[in-house]
Amino acid sequence: MVGEEDKPRIGDAMRQMGAEPLLPVEKKLIAWSLILGIVLLAILIWTGNASLRVER
Amino acid sequence: MAQHAAAANSAAVAGPTHGWSEDWLAVAAGFVVFAAAIAFLFGGDLLGWAMSPRLWLEIGKSVRPGSQAYAHVAPVLLLLATYAFLLVMLTIGAALLRANIGRFAASFTILFWLAYFCWVLGSYAYIAATTPGDMQRFGIGWSLRLTGESGYVIALLLGLAIANLLPNFATWFGTAARPELYIKTAIVILGGTVGVKAAEQLGLASTVMWRGLAAIVEAYLIYWAVVYFVARKWFGFSREWAAPLASGISICGVSAAIATAGAIRARPLVAVMVSSLVVVFAMVELLILPFAARALLGDEPLVAGAWMGLAVKTDGAAVASGAITEALLYADALARGIRYDRGWIVGTATTIKIFIDVFIGVWAFILAYIWTRHIEPRRPGDELRGGEMWERFPKFILGFAATFLIVLLIGLHSSPPVLASLNAAMDQANVFRQLFFVLTFFCIGLMADLRVLWQEGIGRLAAVYVVSLFGFVIWAGLLISWIFFSGLKPPLAG
Repeated sequence: MVGEEDKPRIGDAMRQMGAEPLLPVEKKLIAWSLILGIVLLAILIWTGNASLRVER
Repeated sequence: MAQHAAAANSAAVAGPTHGWSEDWLAVAAGFVVFAAAIAFLFGGDLLGWAMSPRLWLEIGKSVRPGSQAYAHVAPVLLLLATYAFLLVMLTIGAALLRANIGRFAASFTILFWLAYFCWVLGSYAYIAATTPGDMQRFGIGWSLRLTGESGYVIALLLGLAIANLLPNFATWFGTAARPELYIKTAIVILGGTVGVKAAEQLGLASTVMWRGLAAIVEAYLIYWAVVYFVARKWFGFSREWAAPLASGISICGVSAAIATAGAIRARPLVAVMVSSLVVVFAMVELLILPFAARALLGDEPLVAGAWMGLAVKTDGAAVASGAITEALLYADALARGIRYDRGWIVGTATTIKIFIDVFIGVWAFILAYIWTRHIEPRRPGDELRGGEMWERFPKFILGFAATFLIVLLIGLHSSPPVLASLNAAMDQANVFRQLFFVLTFFCIGLMADLRVLWQEGIGRLAAVYVVSLFGFVIWAGLLISWIFFSGLKPPLAG
């Protein structure tokens, strides 16, 4: 059983957080997510305009 | 730690060790209500006794049954029946969750009546009357014009007051304070309402769903990447904190934060704290965004609905924001002589939110793959399993899909009189959907002990949330909603 005083506190956990520079794989994840997202949104806008016109 | 928030979130993080999960329980409870409502099509009136508030000035006339067939029964008896129905159903649920049923029944009783009181108060004429006609009918010269949905906000504020002023009382509610269970049940019931709307206006419903795909792209690929970058680069958070935080702010609040923390093997503390933060900010959004939508998007009801689904985190807050937004915008439209068909704004917000939810498991799997392969390779014997995707999948969505499809299929093959009966049946179910909403919001308030969260040092996490949410997520959501939904209008009522 963990006592109240033994519970991890967020402040302590954050102070213990070490510096972690962005790895190349994280940069790739961010960049490719954004690129893919913008491309897919453009496709959705185009297909929506082209094929799903509704009465406005 | 905010005791009650942490306790609930810890339970969610740990997941069920025995018995049913909350997701499956929500499906079962939602289906009980849905099945009873559908009986209306076959001549049964199994839910007509359920009581809901109406606009009132005299407390004796503040509630009414769903069906005129029960109008002669004393309101007190019907109120007790409404309470007893939920008590029995949810106590069985508590037993299936292996909770202490005596304790649950006692807590739920107080929870129910406090939340119901808020619901009724929200329909007080001076608070809720929206049209000159209503004010004339009640002989009042002014009203806050907040609509009956203000009951949700009142419930939220009462819960918040209890959490922060009477923390021991808030903790006492214990296992009965289950906002996730209540909102998931409400969403399963809501599937039928959205289904009947879709059957009536298939073309518009298909368009809303197609455009809803944009929400998935935006939440997972754009929001997540930006928030993760902000948390890592600007605020110096470690990967363990940044990934669940990005999911919590970008995707679907609590569920996504928990799924992501599990996928990257973050400590339980991380998921608990991020989840608590999500609940607090969802509450702030709920109190602000519907009124912002009223000010900015009065002529674009479906843009407003999509915006609530995209910007407001947690299912409960998003769907309820849609409901409040609908009430506010429809009331303003009515004052201009436009009477829209009910349910389209809340339906759009729900569709968007559900679409986003569907991919939580997939996203958790992708993150787990990247983390195990490229960032923190797992130990032998702890490899990624395909089944993890299913484990992370929010099962209550299956309930929503089932009620939606059942009603849609019935509606598409029905004559106009049968479709009208189907509409009436879903209106009966809707009483319980609204009741589950108000329970949800009371519980969300109960779980937000802001003082203790602040003492825990949540400020730095909150800073990321504020910068990401108010600096990017809300505005990007508004832009995308505008691009995809502007010009689409709900159909006019009958």
